[in-house]
Amino acid sequence: MAGEVLIVAEQVNGEIAKVTLELIGEGRKLAQKLNSPLSCFILGHNMQSQIQRVIEAGADKIYLADHPELAEYRTLPYRRVLIDELTSWERPPHTLLMGSTTTGRDLAPRIAAYFETGLTADTIELDIGPYEHKAGVDKSKIGYFPECLYANRPSFGESLKARILGPWKDPQMATIRPGVFQLPAKVSRDPAEVPIKNIAVNLQSDDFRVSVAKIMREAGSKVDITEADVIIAGGFGLASQDGFELLRELAGCFNNAVVGASRKAVDVGWIGYPYQVGQTGKTVRPKIYIACGISGALQHRVGMQKSELIIAINKDPDAPIFSFANHGIVGDLYQVIPEMIKQIKAGALLKEPVLA
Amino acid sequence: MANKDLNIYVLIKQVPDTRSKAGVNPDGTIDRAKAGKMLNPFDAFAMEAALNAKAMGGPNSRVTAVTMGPPPAIDILYQALEHGIDKTCILSDRKLAASDTLATSYALTKTLEYLESKDGPADLVFCGLQTTDGDTAQVGPEICERMNLTQVTYVEGFTVENNKIHARKVIEGGAMEVIAELPALLTIANSYKKLKFKTFRGAKFVQEVKRNKPLQDEFIEVVDLAKVSARDEQCGLPGSPTIVSMTWKIGTVGGNCTMHQGKSAEELVGAVLAKESSHIAEFVKR
Ligand SMILES: Cc1cc2nc3c(=O)[nH]c(=O)nc-3n(C[C@H](O)[C@H](O)[C@H](O)COP(=O)(O)OP(=O)(O)OC[C@H]3O[C@@H](n4cnc5c(N)ncnc54)[C@H](O)[C@@H]3O)c2cc1C
Ligand SMILES: Nc1ncnc2c1ncn2[C@@H]1O[C@H](COP(=O)(O)O)[C@@H](O)[C@H]1O
Repeated sequence: MAGEVLIVAEQVNGEIAKVTLELIGEGRKLAQKLNSPLSCFILGHNMQSQIQRVIEAGADKIYLADHPELAEYRTLPYRRVLIDELTSWERPPHTLLMGSTTTGRDLAPRIAAYFETGLTADTIELDIGPYEHKAGVDKSKIGYFPECLYANRPSFGESLKARILGPWKDPQMATIRPGVFQLPAKVSRDPAEVPIKNIAVNLQSDDFRVSVAKIMREAGSKVDITEADVIIAGGFGLASQDGFELLRELAGCFNNAVVGASRKAVDVGWIGYPYQVGQTGKTVRPKIYIACGISGALQHRVGMQKSELIIAINKDPDAPIFSFANHGIVGDLYQVIPEMIKQIKAGALLKEPVLA
Repeated sequence: MANKDLNIYVLIKQVPDTRSKAGVNPDGTIDRAKAGKMLNPFDAFAMEAALNAKAMGGPNSRVTAVTMGPPPAIDILYQALEHGIDKTCILSDRKLAASDTLATSYALTKTLEYLESKDGPADLVFCGLQTTDGDTAQVGPEICERMNLTQVTYVEGFTVENNKIHARKVIEGGAMEVIAELPALLTIANSYKKLKFKTFRGAKFVQEVKRNKPLQDEFIEVVDLAKVSARDEQCGLPGSPTIVSMTWKIGTVGGNCTMHQGKSAEELVGAVLAKESSHIAEFVKR
């Protein structure tokens, strides 16, 4: 039997991050295929109240390292606790997943380097499946591996997507950006059935080589485009910052709607990074995504292709975005969008939909 | 207390040039053979940080730029020298082909240890946040683990005071100020200061180095795996715990986009809204 599927939880101000729950949801599918337990490792302080959420997301087993020194994430103490615990296991986890956040990207490579194991960054799809390594430069890799972690991610090279795997050593690791997977439906189960292992925390003086002087977090004013039902996204085709005013006006026609952007629009400074959609921005899956003046490069596409309805407006009929949008409008966005605002405001959609 | 002389390294990589049109397909994929080459844009921030750290250290502080890559990557080392970096080193070896991040971090660690054996222990190592081709942000922290350096990632600004690093870094939902002991490895966020223009002196100097072989040997050290005492089995394919088992194009899937064109904006918009009214209507403000 394969080892556990382990999700290393992330918490901010003592609250389990959404990405952790998303990973538990996806980890459930992997654990089922492996016929292994799905466990969650929580590090923090006063985390008792959060355990319920992790159980509801579907964890079978919880490791809890609760200690004042773990209240705020710091590389070395977190690294110590995780490595101390994992090295004491008879067999390592089969799979170890973390969010691809500033925290996960700081910690996951430390764990991977310690265990000299593989780590796939910014994965967009996970699965378990077989792999056969036939010939090659490296004879030690030859063999048949029935249960590998498949981690798919966009690749920069000639092709668009690459499957990365490394069954030669456990844990097989991957980081995943927030929003890539959906929040799981609540699992109802008796919390008493879920074992909690309290982890002893033994930090060493070496672990305090970095001290925290100050933490600055803005309360409230966080922009989270991943929560919106409707995203009106603008790209380089807007040609100026003012274009976003027009997009905001269209967004204003909908409930729970925000504007989003391509990286090129962010890079030129028309709008802030929290609005960026794509491989190096947010992954969104709104009900409606309207892409305005966005060419549809792969790195943008991976951040929005799971939207339910994609409408693209582009003046170039050969723009790649038309290969995966549901509706393509070939035209100048500065004519199309004002028209769309006009028609929506005039009530074009408020008539009862005709039932077929 | 004045800072001591700092022995500083900056890790830089040559990547395919995505700014020019050459080799860049409209769907964002890269034809590596056709694409030009450039310095990883994130590493320009690391270079600026390394030069600023040098200015904060004692008078004999120095910065060495280190890269791992095929021989043409020497270009970015010339670029480093133009910007006032003191000396450079390139690790080049056929056996490094197909290295993943773990193998890369091993080879770069061995190179840094080799340089330390000549220059004395490292005080500071700077990395870019990530590369535009690998795009993992893993190599820096993996080197940190191997060399037991203190780690500060996503650094937006820093000073060196009393031989400690005072840094501001990005965290989830905000920023954090930390004080880190030396020796340390910092990965520099792209919100850090932009790399200043190359200096006139630097540019002139590089022209001279390009013409003068003994100067090249002095300022650009070329090493291979044997020279840095790296074990072959920890490099390249054998040293990489991961492989790419398959790749596929997703550009052709889908293709059932309903196109609306060649009509007035009014008709185009009307057609889409009519077609999708059942889907859109519930989100429209009433
Ligand atoms: C490692 C890496 C990571 C990346 N991460 C991301 C990411 O997270 N998110 C992201 O978006 N990109 C990302 N990119 C960049 C990506 O490759 C593209 O360069 C970018 O998405 C292009 O942005 P764009 O579509 O706005 O601009 P362009 O490609 O310049 O397209 C502009 C489009 O607007 C159209 N247009 C112009 N004028 C009008 C008009 N008046 N009306 C209608 N249409 C008009 C044009 O026909 C064109 O199709 C990344 C790239 C790399 C290498
Ligand atoms: N081949 C290389 N040579 C030198 N430095 C590298 C190399 N690969 C990665 N790095 C460093 O590690 C950082 C992160 O790279 P990556 O993990 O590929 O995203 C880069 O910004 C560089 O500072």
